[in-house]
Parts: sequence; C-alpha cells; structure tokens
Amino acid sequence: MSIDVVLQVLVGGILVGGLYALVAFGLSLIYGVVRILNFAHGTILAVTGVVASLIFARWQLSPVLIFILLVPSVFLLGAVFYRGLLHPLERRSPLEATIGTVLVTVGALLILSDVTAVLAGPTQRNIMLRSPVIEVGNIVISVTQLAILAAIVVMTLVIHAVLKATWFGIAVRAVTQEPIAAELCGARSLQVKTLTFGVGSATVAIAAVLYVLTFPVDPYMGFGLTVKAFTIIVVGGIGNLPGALIVGVLLGVAEGLVGLFWGPEWSPAISVILLLLILVAFPAGIRWRRG
Amino acid sequence: MNRAVFAVVATIVVAGLAVLPLLGAPYWTTFVFSILIAYVLAQSWDWVAGEMGYINLGHYVFYGIGAYAFAIALTSALMPSVPLAMVIAVLVVAIVAAVLALPLFRLRGDYFAFGTLALLPLAEVLTNNNTWLTGGADGIVLPVAHVLQAAFWLALILAVASFAVTLVINRAPFGFALRSIRNDEEVAEVIGLPLLPTKIKALVLSSLFAGMAGAIQAWQMSYIDAVTVFGLNVALVPIAMALLGGSGLRWGPFIGVVLLAGIQQWLLVNITMLQATVYGAIILLIGRYMPGGILRAGILRGLPWLAPLTREHGAFVADTAIDQVASSSAVMSAEMPLDRIVPRGTETPLLVCRDVAKAFGGNRALAGVSFNVAQGEIVGLVGQNGSGKTTLFNCISKVHSLNGGEIRFSGRDLSGLRRDQMAGLGVGRTYQIPRPFGDLTVAENVALSLMFGPQREIPARALTEARSFLAYAELDHRRDVRADTLSLQEKKLLEFARALATRPKLLLVDEIASGLTPVEVRRFVDRIRAVRDDYGITVIWVEHIASALNAAADRIIVLEQGQLIADGPPAVVFRDQRVLASYLGAAEVVE
Repeated sequence: MSIDVVLQVLVGGILVGGLYALVAFGLSLIYGVVRILNFAHGTILAVTGVVASLIFARWQLSPVLIFILLVPSVFLLGAVFYRGLLHPLERRSPLEATIGTVLVTVGALLILSDVTAVLAGPTQRNIMLRSPVIEVGNIVISVTQLAILAAIVVMTLVIHAVLKATWFGIAVRAVTQEPIAAELCGARSLQVKTLTFGVGSATVAIAAVLYVLTFPVDPYMGFGLTVKAFTIIVVGGIGNLPGALIVGVLLGVAEGLVGLFWGPEWSPAISVILLLLILVAFPAGIRWRRG
Repeated sequence: MNRAVFAVVATIVVAGLAVLPLLGAPYWTTFVFSILIAYVLAQSWDWVAGEMGYINLGHYVFYGIGAYAFAIALTSALMPSVPLAMVIAVLVVAIVAAVLALPLFRLRGDYFAFGTLALLPLAEVLTNNNTWLTGGADGIVLPVAHVLQAAFWLALILAVASFAVTLVINRAPFGFALRSIRNDEEVAEVIGLPLLPTKIKALVLSSLFAGMAGAIQAWQMSYIDAVTVFGLNVALVPIAMALLGGSGLRWGPFIGVVLLAGIQQWLLVNITMLQATVYGAIILLIGRYMPGGILRAGILRGLPWLAPLTREHGAFVADTAIDQVASSSAVMSAEMPLDRIVPRGTETPLLVCRDVAKAFGGNRALAGVSFNVAQGEIVGLVGQNGSGKTTLFNCISKVHSLNGGEIRFSGRDLSGLRRDQMAGLGVGRTYQIPRPFGDLTVAENVALSLMFGPQREIPARALTEARSFLAYAELDHRRDVRADTLSLQEKKLLEFARALATRPKLLLVDEIASGLTPVEVRRFVDRIRAVRDDYGITVIWVEHIASALNAAADRIIVLEQGQLIADGPPAVVFRDQRVLASYLGAAEVVE
C-alpha cells in the first residue's frame, strides 16, 4: 500500500474529524450550560443533512443558501424543544429530572430518525457538487473539501470569539461555572439556557450542511455520531474548544486508518472502545491543565 | 394487601398462566411469553435503576449476549444440549457484566446512561463483524422447533423468580446498600459500604436475569441476529416499560410492562408505518409528563383501591414485620450498644499526621501539617473558614487522597486504603452540611451504619439497635419519618447518631453545633465528653465556638491557610497572640 493512499485517508480523516469536533462543540456547550446530555444531538446532523440534500435535489439551491435557510431553523427548533419539553423537567427531583431528560431526548431521537426515514427513505444521500480538484503529489483534494476545511476553522474561531467576547459567551461561561451566582448577577438562566440549546443545535446544523457536501448521510447515523461527540468531549474536556478540535481530528484520522487497514466496518467501534478505555484510565474524564 | 390474600391470588394467577400453553392458543401463549420476557427485563433493569439509581440504558446488551452465547453454544458441535447451553450463556453474561462494570461505574447520572447506551451500537458492530463466531448479518438459526411450551414455562419461572428477588432485595442488607448508593454513594462508602463490589454485584445480578431471558427468547424464536437483540428501537422498550409503570416501585415494572405490551400489540395490528415514531412519542411523553411513572401520578394516588400498587418503598418498609419490632413504642435506653474502648499503651498515638499536604490545582489546602492524637483525647480543631479543617477530615477519612506526607491510624499507614476500609478500621465522621440518605427513614439511616459495619448486622437487628443510637442523640421520636423532612438541627443530630453507629474509635465531628442556641451547644459539649468518658472514643471536633471547645477539648490545634500554627491546651492556645490575630481577629487578649 503506497504512502499516497495513507495520506489521502489522512485528508479525509482530518475533514470528517473537524466536523465531529463541530458537533462535539455543540454537545459540550449544551452540557456545560444546561447540564443535559442530548441523546438526539447527532440525529440533528442526520436529519438536517437529509433535508439539505433533499432541498438540493429538488431546487438545486446553492449550499450557501441552504446553509442560511437551515441553520436558523434548527436554532429555533432547538430552542423550542428545550423550552417546551426539557425545561419544565427542572422542577422535578434530580433523579426524575435525569430520567425525564433521558426519555425525552431518546424519544426525540427515535421520532426524528423514523420520520426522516419514512419521508426521505432510509438510503444514504449527499450533495454532489462539481468542483475542480487540486493535486498535491498524488493526493487529490477538491476545492469543496478545502472550503469545508476553511469553514471548520472559521466556525471554530467564531465560536471561540463568541464565547470570549460577547455577552452571550460570558453568560454561558458564567452559568457553566456557577449557575446560581450567574443568575444573581443578572444572567437569566432560562434565557441563557434556551439560547444555548439553540446555538448548540445550530452548531450541529452547520456541521450537517458541511458534512453532506462530501460524506453521505442517512436517517439512522445520528446516534453513532452522538457517541463520537461524547467521546470527544470526555477526552478533550468539557468546554475545551481546542481540545475538542484536536481529539475530533485524531478520532477522524484513527477511523480512516482503521478503515483502511482493517476494514471500514470496524470504524464505528473505535469511538466506543476508546471511550471505555479512557474511562478505565481516567475516572473523572481528562482534566487538562490550563496553561 | 394482606399477605395471605396476596399469596393465594399470586398462586392462582401463576397456576393459571402455567396451564395457558396447554390450551392450544398459540397466539395468546406467544403474547404472554413476550410479556413475561419483557417483565424479567424491566424488573431486573429496575434493580440497578430504581434501587441503586443507575440508569443502565444498555441493559439489552446482556439480553443479546445471553441470546448469542446460548445460540452459539447450542449450534456448536461440542455440546448440543439446551441446559448446558443455558449455563454457558449465564456464565458468559456474568463475566461480561463484571468486566464492563469497571469502566461503566466510573460514570454517574446521565453520563452512565450514555456510556451504557453506547454499548448497544458497539455490540451490534462486533456481532456483525465477527462473522466466524456469530454468523455476521445472517444471524444464527437454531436446530430446534416447537419449544414454545417449554420456553413459556421457563419464562414463567424466571418471571416469578424476578419478582421474588425483588421482594428479597427490598428487605436484605443488599437492598439497603443499593438504596444508600442511590441517595449518596460517598456517604455510603464512608460509613463502611464497599462501593464497587456492591455495584458490580447489582449489575451482574441484573445482567444474569437479562441474559437468561435472552437465552430463553433465542430458544423460542430459534433464530437471532444482531438487529433483533441490539437494535436501539427494541433495546429501550423494557426500560420504557419500567419507567412507564414507575421505577423503584414494587409493582411499577409489572404494570408498565402489561400496559405498554398491550399498546404495542395494538399498534402492531393497527399501524403499519411510523411504529418507531409512535413508540418514540410514548417514551418522550412519559419523560415529559411523568418521569416518575404512572403509579406516581396524582390521579392514581387518590384512588383507594389502587393504594397497594402505588405505595413507595418507605410505606412498604413500615408495615413489614421486622420494622414493627423496631418501631414498637417501648422506650429505648439511651445506652448505646458499644463496647468501651480499652486504652492501649500510650507509646503509639492513635492518629499520626506527618507533613500532610493536599492541593486542589494551584490551591494549597494543606501544607506540612503534623500532629498526633492520643487515644482517648478530645482535640478541638479551629481555624478560619478555608483554613483546611474539612480538607483535613476528608484526608483522614480518605475522601481525598494526599499529595504528600502520611497519615497513620492505630499505627497503620492509610495510603492505599479505601473509604469503607477506614470505617472498618474505626474512623467515623459527620458532615458539616448534613448528608442524610434523604428518602430513607431516620432509623434506616442509622441502621445502615450497623449493617455495613464490621458486625454486618441483619436489618431487623440493626433497625432495633439503631434506636439506641437515636435515643442517645435524642432523635428517637423522629425515627420513622423520611430523613429529608428533618430540620437542619435534627439532621445534625442524625449525622452524629449515624457516625456513632459505625462504632468508631476516632470520631471526626465537623461543626455540629454551629447555629445552635447556647443551651443546645452546652448539650453537645456534654455529649462529646460523654462519648469519650463513657465509651472511650477519641474525638477531633471542628467548631467555631471557642467556649464550647474550651469546655470540651483537652487540646486545641489551629490551622491557618493550610498550616498548623498552634497545638496545645486550650488555656495556652486561646491566649496565643498569633492564634488570636489569625483566628479571633483580636489584637489583644481579652481577660
């Protein structure tokens, strides 16, 4: 097997890993602020991806337009989902609240994938764009792929900037660290949480539109993706953006390499096995020292 | 419900079910069979979830492993025997559960739920990929047919066994251990419960029943593949059933299984599309509107004829025989059933702290703290808030491990010991902010210490003895109420009684008298002295009330920003300029 094949797989791995990282950002953001593990998180990517491909197939809209159409919609749906179905559970006892959120998000997962499968068919689909390719040695990279890579970097920087500099970002960090104190200082927790759920979901929608431009999506891929995002935030640390990006890319590359050397059917097992191994080695997740 | 009536009704129902396969109604036999299997799954799941508070969404994995192990064993050339294959399936499931317990129980709350749910796709991938073992996506066809009758009876036996185990667990020390974990596992460990072994036992027990259910199901269906035993849609069904009925309630899983199985059967007949959607919607609505289950819904609570089904655990406990003994209104003596600790030689101190250091990140909570405590001493530990007093307690009771130095108790180095072993060695403690096991009764709270202690008392005896400890703390009149309904002061008394019930040699008391009236403080001074004078228990007492320590303590140790700045008799220490400046904030001695 030539080194070129390996490099080609590396490129694909970095690309998909960056998208995993975007999904993980959303999960991490929501978990940090709302303290809810959304089991349907990855399913948002599956559904949004399928919808994007349907829109493209039907009306041939530009991916940028689809992006502008879908991301705000998912933001709204996420916010409404939180307000209507999850927030009311906060009043209950801790155990009931945990059970309730698990059931609500698992129920949403089943509904979303089933409805999508019935409406769009359970097959894999993506958006095929004709774009020129660039050859570096024997490695082929399409302009679309480069654009996706650039978009991942830009989105990461934007999220970072939002968290660092805006009122919302500061409120998010405050609520993550001390929910009650943050509320006393005027960050209304309901407002911040609803916004966060929306933004976290929208992050997945962003990843979805980018994902479907190069990789196929299907209605049932969602939970596997949630597992990957969860592994990434356990390894990278909750609220640690650079950590998530690095781990996401490493995971994507590892999946690519395992698929290459061992068979693609083994790739989905990696994140779960990695998760179990990490949990044995580091009971409390990995705490990265702040420099 | 009257016990005899229940026994008669249950016998009739079980006997009626047992003859069902003989009536020549295969549709009904199959339907009831599926209900029995679902009940076994839902009930065994609830031992871990309802009793222990761990939501194991991957329960179905063990069902699948049982099914596959059975099928593989039965189809292998070596041993085509059904009983042998069942035994093998059970063994395989037990081993897998014990191994998986190690990583899984590193997780809590929804993280645990998530980690266990992730096992399902993993199991599916492994099953589909290891074609040599599992036949891959083709599944396994078993060389049996027409075993519905035998499988039905096996399932019935297993279902009855599940219910029986539930009843036994409810009253056994093991059940109390599970409920203490559900309430507060750190405290459970500190009063002497070996945490991980208990959790592993619970998971293995629960998985065994799931595995057997899987084996029986595989036998009955005579065909299995990965999707039918590891698929996300099917896997969550028994869990949804248990939650629909009411997790943690004796009849919850049963009611939920019957209801949801009925709905499911109706859906199968009447709806061809979007079945998973309807199912998801049911799960979602249960979660949104009644995560406590139907049996906890207010409407049902009001119906008197449903009362036997809707009672909580606490209500069950109060009417069982053992507790009638414990709750009898005989006045208990305030004499605690503790042996007086005989003073040992004075050469080795009971507790030796040498250069103890503990840091949280960059925050040095303790640095180079050294002191000894002799057997039978009462030592007052003072210092400003944040000076490291509670951290020191946490280090001695192994809630934290040290960053440096060493702590010896009875001459034994504590490094490498677990929290429950500390309780066994004789270190008891109270918490500054009381941490009672909220949904257990006051008497049960104290009885747990006795059950987990070195004497491993049975619940009936522990509950009776608990009353003496409660009487000593003047809390006996509140013994039958839920601990979370106590006032703060009562909770502090409960902390005290519960710590004494661990039969400590060394008692660590953390701000038990703060916020009390002077008279009540005085009572605590007397109690602490009595604990030492009457029972020989050594005490370290953290308190901000200098007069109380002055009256109670033989010696005062002062911490300032994690360092020890004074150690001596109260009369000396409370006049030390540095102590006054640091702790009392006074510039001069007030005569």
